[in-house]
Amino acid sequence: MKGIYYVLLLYAFLMLPPVASLMESVMIIHMHMQMTLFVIIGFLLAPVLQKKFPRFFEEWNPNGIPGILLFVIVIFYWTLPRSMDEALNFWYIELFKFISLPFLAGVPLRDSWRKISPSLKNGLIILFTLLFILMGWLYIWSPNQLCNNYLMIDQITLGWGFLLTAVCMIIYLAYSYITDFAKTV
Amino acid sequence: MEAIKKEYWKDKANKALGISPEDARITKSYLIVAFAAILVGGLLGLLQGMNRAGILELPVWLNYYKVLTAHGLLLVVVLSAFFTIGYFYAGLSHSLGGLLPKVRKMAWIGFWMKIFGFVLAVIPILQGDASVMYTFYPPMAAAPMFYIGLVFIVLGVWMLAFGAFINVANWRKNHKGQHIPISFFAMGVFVLLFFGSLPVAIEVLYIIPWAFGWIETINVMVSRTLFWAFGHTLVNIWYMTAISAWYVFVPKIIDGRRWSDLLTRIVVIALVIMNITGGFHHQIIDPGISESVKYMHVFMSLAIGFPSLMTAYAMFAVFEKTARKKGGRGLVGWYKKLPWGDVRFLAPFIAMAAFIPAGAGGIVQSTNQLNQVAHNTMWVVGHFHLTLGMTVVMTFFGVSYWLVPYVSGRVLTKEINKLGVIQTIVWTIGMVLMSGAMHWVGLLGSPRRTSYSTYFDNATALSWDPYLFFLAIGGTLLMIGVLLQVYAVFHMMFLAPKGETEFPVADVEEDATPTPMWTERWGLWIVLMIGLVSMAYVIPLVDFIVNAPPGSPPFKTW
Repeated sequence: MKGIYYVLLLYAFLMLPPVASLMESVMIIHMHMQMTLFVIIGFLLAPVLQKKFPRFFEEWNPNGIPGILLFVIVIFYWTLPRSMDEALNFWYIELFKFISLPFLAGVPLRDSWRKISPSLKNGLIILFTLLFILMGWLYIWSPNQLCNNYLMIDQITLGWGFLLTAVCMIIYLAYSYITDFAKTV
Repeated sequence: MEAIKKEYWKDKANKALGISPEDARITKSYLIVAFAAILVGGLLGLLQGMNRAGILELPVWLNYYKVLTAHGLLLVVVLSAFFTIGYFYAGLSHSLGGLLPKVRKMAWIGFWMKIFGFVLAVIPILQGDASVMYTFYPPMAAAPMFYIGLVFIVLGVWMLAFGAFINVANWRKNHKGQHIPISFFAMGVFVLLFFGSLPVAIEVLYIIPWAFGWIETINVMVSRTLFWAFGHTLVNIWYMTAISAWYVFVPKIIDGRRWSDLLTRIVVIALVIMNITGGFHHQIIDPGISESVKYMHVFMSLAIGFPSLMTAYAMFAVFEKTARKKGGRGLVGWYKKLPWGDVRFLAPFIAMAAFIPAGAGGIVQSTNQLNQVAHNTMWVVGHFHLTLGMTVVMTFFGVSYWLVPYVSGRVLTKEINKLGVIQTIVWTIGMVLMSGAMHWVGLLGSPRRTSYSTYFDNATALSWDPYLFFLAIGGTLLMIGVLLQVYAVFHMMFLAPKGETEFPVADVEEDATPTPMWTERWGLWIVLMIGLVSMAYVIPLVDFIVNAPPGSPPFKTW
């Protein structure tokens, strides 16, 4: 449990204004690195919360479905161009980003992942693959600037980032399809 | 009792299995090419050292840049790739119960493809049409044949990588639920060889039409970035080959046990995932990449240092534990119990010790501001001679004293061991002198990749001369080292008395906890690697391509 302090330290570090503004200065780093890191922080914090409030998770997330739904909704929200703009323009949306990604996405993801069936896990990866292809298409080929705060080139870069991540997920799905994890895990 | 039984069975199996003559032939051929490359490449290195010191003026038909290109290609591409492949194929053969017949065939096809590619690349170098140095990125352009040769070399390497994958996959199919044995390192290296050479393959396919003149211009920044994604990975492939020997074989040679198997595998996985993106620290002063992106890449590069620190810890832990078991005492007094007279230990040990300053120098270069001072100076040359020429190559030398007799069915004699110890000492002194002088003179501003010049007797340039003399002295000692080493290899390959030499794989500690099976999820590591590489490269590459300048025509600067 000592590790929890390191996680909190990382959490605080990422929220420091110079660190946050450096990461937010590049669109793809903002969305694919900063936001992912906040989800990971939630993921790492989850065991402590699960231990402290076991009844809460049992009651609200008995089969993992509510948690996954919450995760999907929060992540979908943060992939919208407008949500990024607002996070940069309004301090309370930025604050919401700092709180929502760890606690409404990372924590429920960890709590739900062990509870849901393998087919639902794969379904979720497929859903995100499709979403990422769609977002890639949107950001690369959109004729207009989608975010007020970022240039077209940032947008195209982010689009390619989405497509490449989708490719990775497709490779993973193919790999998990041909490999019997029960024997190798 | 159980342990004794197990060991006995293992020894018997090792003796009975040995290495099949067909597999031995593959490794022998690779090692012969590797050591032939060091002989010629070393000689070319000596010529350069002499030239830089102002002692030797090279004739017009053999100018400095031609020699530099051949030296780089021979030692960087031929020596290291051939040794790595020969060594790991012997390992695969030993640990997976022999190579599959089709894998053997692939190994031979790969071998001849590489030789063919190498001949194609060398012809234009000798003709003076390809003095583009080992990094060969635009705007300097070589004759097209040079790049076509490189394509064959890459295809040959892929053949070997896929051969290894097929053999490992076959083994896994027949050994469900078991860990890949020591070939885990081979997997890591071949995965990196394949994925690391993908960018350079793209680069070369893009250069060929440009070198032929079919397209007028080329995007220099894209080419450089693709090159370094490969260039840096290649460096780490050698390094990983060297540490595989440290982890697996050195403990056996000192009669010790391997350190944690889990830690070993985590080091391999971490190096595989994080390696390719390290290419960016070769581009710290390149234009077109924003400061913030470069800054973030410093983290990526330094992250690669982390598994190295784990390695350093593991190695010294093994040494101390083994020495104390043999009765070593005191805080550092235990070192006396280590087998210093055995070249199979001495050479890799000095190699490891050299990595302490070498790694530190690497961290210096990866750091933005410090790189500004050292970039393109002799410091860099000193750095990679310390890492490659000492850490990696000395480990290769150490390995050769059991690998060569193992594949030739002979034994290491006392005389050759003694010769090896002398060679190790000569090499150490030579490399310390040469690399030390290079580092220092680099800090004083002496540029790399430049033929001898006093810059119109400029006082600063003249002040480099004493250091450059040390460089030449070191280079001469190294040439003596090369001759001793090549003789030792020749002797062990063809002249030494026949006998059994063991393939020295160390066992893990008796009370070691079992390694979790998740370490075997290679597909996942590859996905993570591709993901990381994509994230690291997407920003600069999209920028270079979308905001591309008009591009550069080919230049022949020599």
